[in-house]
Amino acid sequence: MVGPRFGPTTGTQFNDNPDRPIMLHLKSKLLALAAALLCAGTAFAQDSGPLIDILVRKGLITDQEGEDLRSELTKDFAANSAAGKLNLGSHLTEFKLGGDVRLRHQVETQAPQNGTVSNERTRERFRFRFNGDALMQKGWGAGFALETASAADSGNQTLENGNNDYNLYLARAYVSWRPNLNWMFAGGKQKNPFYTTDMVWDSDINPQGVTEIHTRFIGAKDTLEFRAGQLLMDDNNETGIGRAGRDAWLFAQQAVYTHWFGKDAIGNVVNSLVIAPGFMLYNDSTLSGLDNETPFNGTTDGLAVFTMPGEVNWMNVAGAGTSVKLYWDFAYNLEAERRVRKVYGLANQPKDAAAWLVGVGYGSGTGKVQGDYSVKLDYRSLGTGSLDVNLSDSDWAFGRVNQEGFKLAAAYNLTDFASFNATYFHTTDKRETQTSAVSNLDHSQILQLDLVVKF
Amino acid sequence: MKKTILLLAALGAVTAATAQKLVIKGSDTLGAKLVPMLAEDYKARHAGVTFEIAAEGSTTGISAIIDGTAQIGMSSRRAKPTEVSAATAKGVSMKPIIVAFDGIGVIVNQGNPLAALTRRQVEQIFAGDITDWSQVGGTPGKISIYTRNTSSGTYADFKELAMKKRDYASSSQKMAGNEQIAAEVAKNPNGIGYVGLAYLHDPGIKTVAIDGALPSEESVIAKKYPYARPTFYYTNGEPTGEAAKFVEFTLSDEGQKVVRKVGFVPVRVLN
Repeated sequence: MVGPRFGPTTGTQFNDNPDRPIMLHLKSKLLALAAALLCAGTAFAQDSGPLIDILVRKGLITDQEGEDLRSELTKDFAANSAAGKLNLGSHLTEFKLGGDVRLRHQVETQAPQNGTVSNERTRERFRFRFNGDALMQKGWGAGFALETASAADSGNQTLENGNNDYNLYLARAYVSWRPNLNWMFAGGKQKNPFYTTDMVWDSDINPQGVTEIHTRFIGAKDTLEFRAGQLLMDDNNETGIGRAGRDAWLFAQQAVYTHWFGKDAIGNVVNSLVIAPGFMLYNDSTLSGLDNETPFNGTTDGLAVFTMPGEVNWMNVAGAGTSVKLYWDFAYNLEAERRVRKVYGLANQPKDAAAWLVGVGYGSGTGKVQGDYSVKLDYRSLGTGSLDVNLSDSDWAFGRVNQEGFKLAAAYNLTDFASFNATYFHTTDKRETQTSAVSNLDHSQILQLDLVVKF
Repeated sequence: MKKTILLLAALGAVTAATAQKLVIKGSDTLGAKLVPMLAEDYKARHAGVTFEIAAEGSTTGISAIIDGTAQIGMSSRRAKPTEVSAATAKGVSMKPIIVAFDGIGVIVNQGNPLAALTRRQVEQIFAGDITDWSQVGGTPGKISIYTRNTSSGTYADFKELAMKKRDYASSSQKMAGNEQIAAEVAKNPNGIGYVGLAYLHDPGIKTVAIDGALPSEESVIAKKYPYARPTFYYTNGEPTGEAAKFVEFTLSDEGQKVVRKVGFVPVRVLN
């Protein structure tokens, strides 16, 4: 037999009319695809528009048939997917929702100077955070964060009061505008935009006010950023007299220089050096209503703090993905004498204007993948007049100054989204016989065991 | 006498009972001219049918079908998934029926030597990325952009069809209607704007081909011209009764000639 005229339909080579089978083949493919779309409905409904357009354009289905097909897919999508019930503005380019839950077992010792007791306790705590961040056209952004606990320096809620329910608080609400790669502006209660260690700035504290960042790219390996913030620390009634009649402001400015160096096996520049000198200046005003771990509800007088944090990262030191980090911070309060003697009332004490931190870390992976781990150890010393106790880490020495000691932290990723963390703090006093609540701690220890699950 | 009055009253009651009222709500694009003209023609053929037409935007037309307050909803856009979801929750099945195509032509001043643009260039011009005619091969001169005002459905449609939903350039000037855009572009040698197909032959302007296609009935129906969109009637399931008859009339040759007459593109090539 010679090739059959109405032979196999799986190939076109047997047909004597080469055009028709190709068209039939294409038609059958497209129609099969359309049928598959109808069956697969939900998964492909939102992606099917271009395919339906092609079917209509090629005359395989009419406009009305295309519309009916589109309508059926939309109905299926709307009925069977959560996304089909969301109505987001077309000006949104990205809307990210996420958060985490942290379960914590905490053991702590807090011994006051000249005290006869050593306050020891165990707490079972949790932290819930829920964030929404929207990116919009023309560089605009906006977002929010909800979290447990009202204290600025902690989102922890201790389990207590016989199964009572707990409050949620607004931890962030901000608007941002990034007109180009070089400028970024933000206003409202926002993430800390400054490069800091937790010696100077507790990572839980979200500042409020306006911030500006200007970025300069210097070749391929260097970046210089200028960051500034005009941050409101407290709102006072202007009818008050003197400092009580002024709002409390923190004016912070910083230059952040990043240099990339070295190359990995495939030629990427992976090591980095960061140096970030800055200056934090407060106006002279009163503070009240703070509920930090160790709040100082007094004044912002006597705080003009020079800071110099930084770090060096070396990648792939012990195999691909491993890294070693050396990090540090230094703070010096130019008005420490005034802060110690007049504000804290420690008339005969030295000003202790400096604080410093040196740490080293080792990690494997980015901390986002199952099996990643990291270990960090730092030693720090905080002079009584060195920095603002309302901003420094609330866990290290319970947020107090006149302390020195270390922090040891380890983290292990159980999955890509869950990690186990263990952190231990141990501090002792630098000078004895201090009478201010911010500096009269004899020694402290905290052990925190955390399970963190991100969603 | 009493008998006569009673008879007249009975006749009146019968007439009222047989009179059909068709409630149509929705898109001002369709409801401004097209549907009222179709309704007039339909009434001329079907005595006793009355219409209540409210043209307050496509959203109101789709809502009216969901709420059951109209038999036909006019819309110049497709129902959103959230609207379909709301309809399904109320037991309403949104049925779209394409009744016409609406084409948007890009126009420049008659004296502008430019004859064609790509879709990418149109997007860049209206978004403000391209600000001078020399950047698209024209005679140097700062481009003046004319758009409809923000309340117009065409303002949003053009953004979707031609600009990937980007915002218009901040320098663009907002005009009240097609006539105003055509008039301004006719006066301004550096002007560019967009108008409905019915306005492409206004004096002083010329139409620019987009990706090689000029807007026309043929190019829209053949899907060769990119800036065209279907317009819809929405009903709850397959239309029935008087609504079905009116839909049928709209799609008939007579109805589609009305579509052409008011500047829309018929859903098929007419004899």
